[in-house]
Amino acid sequence: MRKNAILLAFTAFIMVMPFWAAPLSKSIDIPIVLTMRLVGIYAIVAVGLNLLMGYAGQVSLGQGAFFGIGAYASALLTTKAGFPVWLGIPCAVLVALIFGILLAPVLRLKGHYLAMGTLAMGIVVFVFLREMTWLTGGNDGVRNIPHLSLPFLEVTSTRGEFYYVWVIVIIVLALCSKLVESRVGRAMRALHQSEVAAEAMGVPVSALKKRVFVLSAALGGLAGGLFAHLQRFIDPNQFTIILSISLVTMVVIGGMESVWGSVFGAGLITFLPKLVEALPRWFGDVPDWLEKYSNYEGMVLGLIIMLTMVFMPSGITRGLVDLFSRRRSPFVNPFRRKAVD
Amino acid sequence: MDFLANCPQYIANGLANGCIYILVAMGFNIIFNSTGIINFAQGEFCMFGGLFAYTLAASAGLPLPLAVVLALAITAAIGGLMERLLVYPLRRAGVLVAIIATIGASIFFKSLGRILWPKEAYKVPEFTPGNISLPGATISRQFLWVFGLTIVSVAAVYLFFNHTRSGKAMRACSVNRLAASLVGINVMRMSLYSFLLAAALGGLAGLINAPYASYSIGLFLGVKGFTAAAVGGLGNTFGAVAGGVVLGLLEELIPGFLTVVLGVSTGYKDAVAAILLIAVLLFRPQGILGRGVVEKV
Repeated sequence: MRKNAILLAFTAFIMVMPFWAAPLSKSIDIPIVLTMRLVGIYAIVAVGLNLLMGYAGQVSLGQGAFFGIGAYASALLTTKAGFPVWLGIPCAVLVALIFGILLAPVLRLKGHYLAMGTLAMGIVVFVFLREMTWLTGGNDGVRNIPHLSLPFLEVTSTRGEFYYVWVIVIIVLALCSKLVESRVGRAMRALHQSEVAAEAMGVPVSALKKRVFVLSAALGGLAGGLFAHLQRFIDPNQFTIILSISLVTMVVIGGMESVWGSVFGAGLITFLPKLVEALPRWFGDVPDWLEKYSNYEGMVLGLIIMLTMVFMPSGITRGLVDLFSRRRSPFVNPFRRKAVD
Repeated sequence: MDFLANCPQYIANGLANGCIYILVAMGFNIIFNSTGIINFAQGEFCMFGGLFAYTLAASAGLPLPLAVVLALAITAAIGGLMERLLVYPLRRAGVLVAIIATIGASIFFKSLGRILWPKEAYKVPEFTPGNISLPGATISRQFLWVFGLTIVSVAAVYLFFNHTRSGKAMRACSVNRLAASLVGINVMRMSLYSFLLAAALGGLAGLINAPYASYSIGLFLGVKGFTAAAVGGLGNTFGAVAGGVVLGLLEELIPGFLTVVLGVSTGYKDAVAAILLIAVLLFRPQGILGRGVVEKV
């Protein structure tokens, strides 16, 4: 019941957001609704990645690949094959899902090897997007991608795009929070703790891992499809390893094993640069180094990741919840090695 | 026919690149053996090595040998600092946490590098400029330094691990850390030593990878070094040598073949290491020289 209440409260919060955010955006000089569209998109991929990484314990440093595949699938189908956008996005999900099935053998790897394997997968997809110029246009990218649309209705306003994206995000969130509470969710957590023990308890470990991987790929494709129609211009350099790593950052900062944490992580990582960029507009004079924040972004993110890992390994949201509810110390690492190996 | 005529050149370039990969791969191996983690910031050590050598030699005007030694010392110090501040506090954390923490370090270092050295490329002075003409290929004199220093480093690492107390202690840690600590080996100090050594090797790879160094080389050198280590079998010094040579040669020969014979774009070169890595991990995870490992529960 409590979970439903949180979801309803969050839905209400999002639905009224454009009304109170518009005046606030003006006064703080940050385009809130515009940025929130992107937050929603990253939240979709991050939640998918969290199912895979936080719940099932399988690292992926190649999630940006599915995001890119989804973006290119929908962009190419709508610009070259003349599909309507509302059909292009489901096709993006389907294409990403098929790639997910094809690339799933990578899950045979474990730990560090899985991390490097998925990183390599991301590199391969990026190189092919860049080099298959006959299909993708190479470094020139795909231009003039149509706006988001519903049947008989083109969505062009910022507010319309906001609702389009967030309705999908809320559906995804509702389904994912149901999933993690279900039998399958418990099986995923069991396999994170110990694959052997999970197998012994009757969890079909490799089939389950594969399903979660494909699900996270499909969510990546969905987000990518939406992204292409919001940006209306894509090129391969938007889908590099950097993207995959920032997705991992969102999950980690928001907190593993936390669907809502990923939304928070996506919000934090997306708003942080806007916030710092706005500082000179608020205070007039800021130190020189703050003005060139985009150069420092990597240092700030890297520092946040390292500090989170050392001091709050279960993530910032989970850590804060634990700190206030006092159920357990937020500073204890839930992923401790059980014995010296 | 063109392809065959170019082969000696491809092989020479491939061997030279392979040497760089060997140095990076040995760094991965050393850290993996003593701590059980893969250091995703290994490529960034190469970046620091190259860029500090540039700053000290070209900007500060120090004599080249002094600049090289100083650059290696600074890079090793960065590695040691990373071990003390990040890896040591996480010594009991699981694999996932360690992976993400070293990725954080890698992002941090790369961004730091970009602030200190914002240009796309810096020319690190070559040790001895000029080229040598061989039948069928032209190689730069720098290649001889690359070959020589790689051979010296491999030999030094081999001697260190087999004929010194600290080296043997580090090998003991790689076999069984609990047992090593029971016989009085300071496992935590070995972890520090391994980062110092791996960072210095990475730095060396970065600075002999002349003439160009930039803040962005870390990721790709890291992936290639890891590929070389995985191809040879993770943790195995001679495996790293074999893996580096195989990767270096394939990376020149395959794109050469594709471009000259089939007329495909050379851009696919960037994917060779990644595809090789996936193939090796899936089909022969113990590497071409490694033996199978049985997982204990």
